[in-house]
Amino acid sequence: MASNEFVIPERYEDLTPAPNVDQKTLNRMALRSCWLQSSFNYETMQSGGWLFAMIPGLEKVHTNKNDLAASMYHNLDFINTHPFLVTFVMGIVLSLEQNKVDTQTIRAVRISAASPLGGIGDALFWLTLVPITAGITSNMAIEGNIAAPIIFLVIFNLAQFACRFGLMNWSYRVGTGAIDALTANMQAFTRAASILGVFVVGCLTVTMGATQINATIPNGTTRGLSAQTIVVSNEEAENFADLAIDTDTAEAGTMAISDMDGNPLTAADADGNAVETGVTDLGNGMSSVTYATVTETPVSYSVASTLDSVLPKLVPLAMVLGLYFLFAKKNFTPIKGIVLLLIIGIIGAGPFDLWTSIW
Amino acid sequence: MDVSIVQIILVFIVTFIAAIDQFDFLESLYQPIVTGAVIGAILGDINTGLVVGGTYQLMTIGNMPIGGAQPPNAVIGGIMAAVFACTIDMDPDMAVATAIPFALLGQYGVTLFFTLRAPLLEFFRGCAEKADTKGITKWTIVSECILGLIFAVIVTLFFIAGLAVGQQVVDAIPEWLNNGLSAAGNMMKFVGFAILLKVMMTRDMWGFYFMGFGLAIIASNIPTIGSSAVLLVLTLIGFGIAFWDFQQQTELKGAAVDGGDFSDGI
Repeated sequence: MASNEFVIPERYEDLTPAPNVDQKTLNRMALRSCWLQSSFNYETMQSGGWLFAMIPGLEKVHTNKNDLAASMYHNLDFINTHPFLVTFVMGIVLSLEQNKVDTQTIRAVRISAASPLGGIGDALFWLTLVPITAGITSNMAIEGNIAAPIIFLVIFNLAQFACRFGLMNWSYRVGTGAIDALTANMQAFTRAASILGVFVVGCLTVTMGATQINATIPNGTTRGLSAQTIVVSNEEAENFADLAIDTDTAEAGTMAISDMDGNPLTAADADGNAVETGVTDLGNGMSSVTYATVTETPVSYSVASTLDSVLPKLVPLAMVLGLYFLFAKKNFTPIKGIVLLLIIGIIGAGPFDLWTSIW
Repeated sequence: MDVSIVQIILVFIVTFIAAIDQFDFLESLYQPIVTGAVIGAILGDINTGLVVGGTYQLMTIGNMPIGGAQPPNAVIGGIMAAVFACTIDMDPDMAVATAIPFALLGQYGVTLFFTLRAPLLEFFRGCAEKADTKGITKWTIVSECILGLIFAVIVTLFFIAGLAVGQQVVDAIPEWLNNGLSAAGNMMKFVGFAILLKVMMTRDMWGFYFMGFGLAIIASNIPTIGSSAVLLVLTLIGFGIAFWDFQQQTELKGAAVDGGDFSDGI
C-alpha cells in the first residue's frame, strides 16, 4: 500500500476554529485512550492506538474530509508516552487541532509533550503505586486471602481512571485557554515548538538508541612475563640459575630467570604486581625460585569502544541521520525504511555477528 | 491431573484477555496476582492459585515495564506458574521458578511481535488517507486479536503439552535470527525519529537537534539523575531554549507577548 506517499498539507483547508467539543466526546477519548498500545510496534510505537483514541475529537473538529484525512495521517507519527498520562497530551493536541494550527506545529507539540511523560508515569505507577499495592496484596494472597486480587484491581484502576479523565479535561481546558495568545504569534510559536520538538528527538536518539556494534577485530598480541614462585631443593635450584633468554624473541611459554646479560627479569605475578626473578636460599636445604614465563596475549580491537571514544551513541546518530536523508531526499517510504533495517539487522547478526545483544 | 475441554477453553480465554490487557485496557487484569487466582479457580484450586499469584507478583515488583523495556513476560509466566502448581501439585516457589523459561520465551515473542507488527501501520495509513475512521477501529481490533490469539494458542499448547515443549521451542530458534530480529527491532524507532525530523527540520534547526543529542549524552551519564527523570530534565532545558527563542522572535516582530498564558499552555 501507499506506494505514493500521502502528502500532509502545511495548513488545513478549513481554517475556521471549531467550537469546543462536548464533554461526551472528551469522555469517549479518555475511554479510548485505554487502547493506546493496541498497535504497539517498534517503528512508531503507540501511534495506531493514539490515533484510535483521538478519533472522536478529530471527527468533531474536522468537518472537512480532506482535513480529517490529513489530521489522521499525521497523528500516526512516532509517539511514545505513558499510557496512563496520555490524555494530557491528547487534550493539548485536540485544542490545537480545533484551532486549525499548522500541521507542523501540532506534530512538534505532540512529540515534545508526549516524550517526557514516560518517566513521570513510570515513577508514579510502576515504581510507586504498583509496588506498594501489589506488595501488600501479594502478601495477603500468599496467606490465601481471596480479596487480595480484588483490592489490587480496585486501587490500581481508581488511580488509573482518575488520571485519564482528570488530565483529559484539564489539559483540554488549558490548551483552549492559551490558544489565543499563541495564534497571535503563530510563526514564532511554530518555530519554538519545532525547536523543542527537534531538541527532544535529539535527546531520544541518545536515551532510546541502544544499537551498538559488537564486532571486535584481532589486533596482534602483546608480550609479557608472568612470574611463578616455587620451592625446590638447592640442587634443583641450580638448574634454574642459567635459564637466560632474550625477552624480545623467546617463544611463548619459555621459562627464564635472567636475560642474556645475566640481569634478573621483572615479571608480573598472579595479582599483577611486579616482582624480580631470582633464587633465594631458604637455609634448610631448599630454595625459593622465582622464574618468569614468556606470555603472549592476543589483543582485540573493539569497534564499540573506539566509536564511543569518538562520540558516544554515534551509531544511533548515524542511523537517524541516514534514515532522515533517505526519507527527506530520496523519498523513501517508512515501510522501505523498516525493510532496510530488518535486512541490516539479520545480515548483521547472521554472517557478521555485528550487534550487541539487547538481552 | 486430567484436564477437561472446558478448562482448556477457559484457560484459552483468560490468556487471550490477559495478553491484550498487558498493554491496553485496564493494564492490571494481567498481573499474576489476578491471573493466579483466576487460573486457580478454573483448575479447581483457588487457594493454590492465590499463593502462586502472590509469589510471582512479589518477584515481578522489581521487574516492571519501565521505559519501554520488556521484562520477562508476566502473562505467560504467571499463568504457567499457576498451571504447574494446580495441575502437577508443584510447590508454589518451584512453580514460579519453573515458569521463568516460559516468561523469557514470552518476552522474546513480544519483542519479535512488536518488530513484525510495524508493517501493520501501512493499513492504518491507508485508512487515514481516506479519512476512514471505522477502518482504524477495524485494524485496532484485528491487531489486538492477533496478539491475544498468539498468546492464547501458545499458553494453551504449553498447558496441554507441558514442560518439555517450552525448552524445545527455545532451542529451535537459531541464535543469529534471534539476535538479528532483536537488533532490527531495536533500530526501528530510528525510522520514527527520522520521519519526525523530516517534518520539523529546516536548515537552521539542525543546531537544536545536535544540542539535544549532546546534552542527552551528558545527562544520561550523570548517575544521580535517574533514567526515568533524564528526559524530563532535558525537556525542561529544551523548553527554556524554545521559550527564549519565542520571546526573541516576538520581540523582533514588535508584537505583544503574553508570556504567562504561554507557559500554562505547554
